[in-house]
Amino acid sequence: MKRTTTLTATFTRDWFGGSNGETTNVFVAKLISIIKGLVFNALGFGILIGIWYLVSILTDGELPTPYATFLVLWELIKDPFYDYGPNDKGIGLQLGSSLLRVFFGFTLGAIVAIPLGILIGASTICKRMFYPIVQVLKPVSPLAWFPIGLVAFQSAGSATIFIIFITSLWPTLINTSFGVASLPDDHKNVAKAFGFSKWKYLTKVLLPFSLPHIITGLRLSIGVAWLVIVAGEMLSGGIGIGFFVWDSWNALSLERVISAILIIGLVGLLLDRGFSLIEKRVTYSI
Amino acid sequence: MSYLKIENMEISFNTPKGRFVAVKDVNLDIAKGEIVSIIGHSGCGKSTILNAISGMLYPAKGTVTLAGKQIKGPGPDRGIVFQNYSLLPWLTVYENIFQAVDAALVLTSKAEKKELVEKYLKMVNLWEHREKFPKQISGGMKQRTAIARAFAINPDVLLLDEPFGALDALTKGSLHIELLKMWNLTQRSKTIVMVTHDIEEAVFLSDRIVVMNNGPAATIREIEEVNLPRPRNKKDIVNMEEYKIIRERLLSLLMDKVEIDEKDFFKEKAA
Repeated sequence: MKRTTTLTATFTRDWFGGSNGETTNVFVAKLISIIKGLVFNALGFGILIGIWYLVSILTDGELPTPYATFLVLWELIKDPFYDYGPNDKGIGLQLGSSLLRVFFGFTLGAIVAIPLGILIGASTICKRMFYPIVQVLKPVSPLAWFPIGLVAFQSAGSATIFIIFITSLWPTLINTSFGVASLPDDHKNVAKAFGFSKWKYLTKVLLPFSLPHIITGLRLSIGVAWLVIVAGEMLSGGIGIGFFVWDSWNALSLERVISAILIIGLVGLLLDRGFSLIEKRVTYSI
Repeated sequence: MSYLKIENMEISFNTPKGRFVAVKDVNLDIAKGEIVSIIGHSGCGKSTILNAISGMLYPAKGTVTLAGKQIKGPGPDRGIVFQNYSLLPWLTVYENIFQAVDAALVLTSKAEKKELVEKYLKMVNLWEHREKFPKQISGGMKQRTAIARAFAINPDVLLLDEPFGALDALTKGSLHIELLKMWNLTQRSKTIVMVTHDIEEAVFLSDRIVVMNNGPAATIREIEEVNLPRPRNKKDIVNMEEYKIIRERLLSLLMDKVEIDEKDFFKEKAA
């Protein structure tokens, strides 16, 4: 986005007078490098589609061809929000429902993980108390929590949110506590020397320093949450992109499965990009 | 005398290898408005003494008293300029000073605090750069920010930990003058304790120079009086007899060998 703006700016300046050799050169160099990037991007995807096509020919149509898949994908995204009853909903509705669950679970996870991470990072006692628990629970697949969620909430939808919550906890918690623990003595000494209050210390020293770490943690968390939601919804059923994948498999439509994979990948990429943008904004350099 | 008093102070640290005594038997009496430098080799506990005055370190033995009261922790009556500036990188120059003023001066109103920040930023010629972040300004400007921050809380005592160590000679020189200017503007009422390893700097700025011997368990070796008239001018004082005597004395105290032996020189060349 940013790149395009500067580009247009240079472009307009070039076009409407005031141009000189140097800006034109910069403009041309930029354009060439962007085109080069795009060409290589396209080449990579081209190779992938080529292999896909080859495999689908070799397996004699067991794997649908890229073209057949594209037609199905087009059908799906042409009318994303139709609703013909509980077992037949548009891809947009499925996706929306998954995103909503991820959003709830992830937000709840962040609300718990950030303060807990700050505690663990700032206090040795808290670290000794809670860190072993974190270490034991972190390697557990979030899906293992699904039955507990079912018992606790008596509904598959809430249980799915619960496993997303559990998933989102760990990366945020660990990154936050790491960020807080790595606060240099220099910064602490400034707070001590000038008598910063607890609140000022938290808001002007500790949080600004740890914020990049916290955002990195959140970025990792949302990545894992988006991975887990698909599996979670395969278990919970009803609605959601994971359910859609499972339902398409039961309907023996690999085209729909592959379309869903592409969409899941794209959404995951967008989520990650969003957080990486925030990450860049809050990162200060020394 | 006896405004800032250090008596029989010993400071030690617990290390994995056991107790490490950094400084011991330190006795120092500093008068109000005096500028005192502590000079010595690296690791001789210069900064340790300064940290004890600031209240960041607590002596294992002995006491540090300021105006009759024992120092028990950091407080706004003492302003510190840290060795590496220690500005908060996510705050602008203005905010770095304002947050310190805001925290240290409890009874002042917000408008008064803002006025103070403006006054001191202008005093160090950084008003035009107030919206910049530390990474956007030079080392000398960072140090000026740190000095303005320490002065702005209007402390009775200023503690400077190798404040000009990382600066080039020209910047250093102008900052020396800037420091003395600030000291004069406050009617020379502020007591300044400075740690340095620069002999010229110590002589130019100080009333007295505390020479440390080498650690571990370092202590004060000698205290030199600097009787050069104030205001001092860098160009003039270097030609004064007094300056030369003190400089020679400090050199001989700090360096075992001032000259390179010609014998050594030829030996090295042959090898």
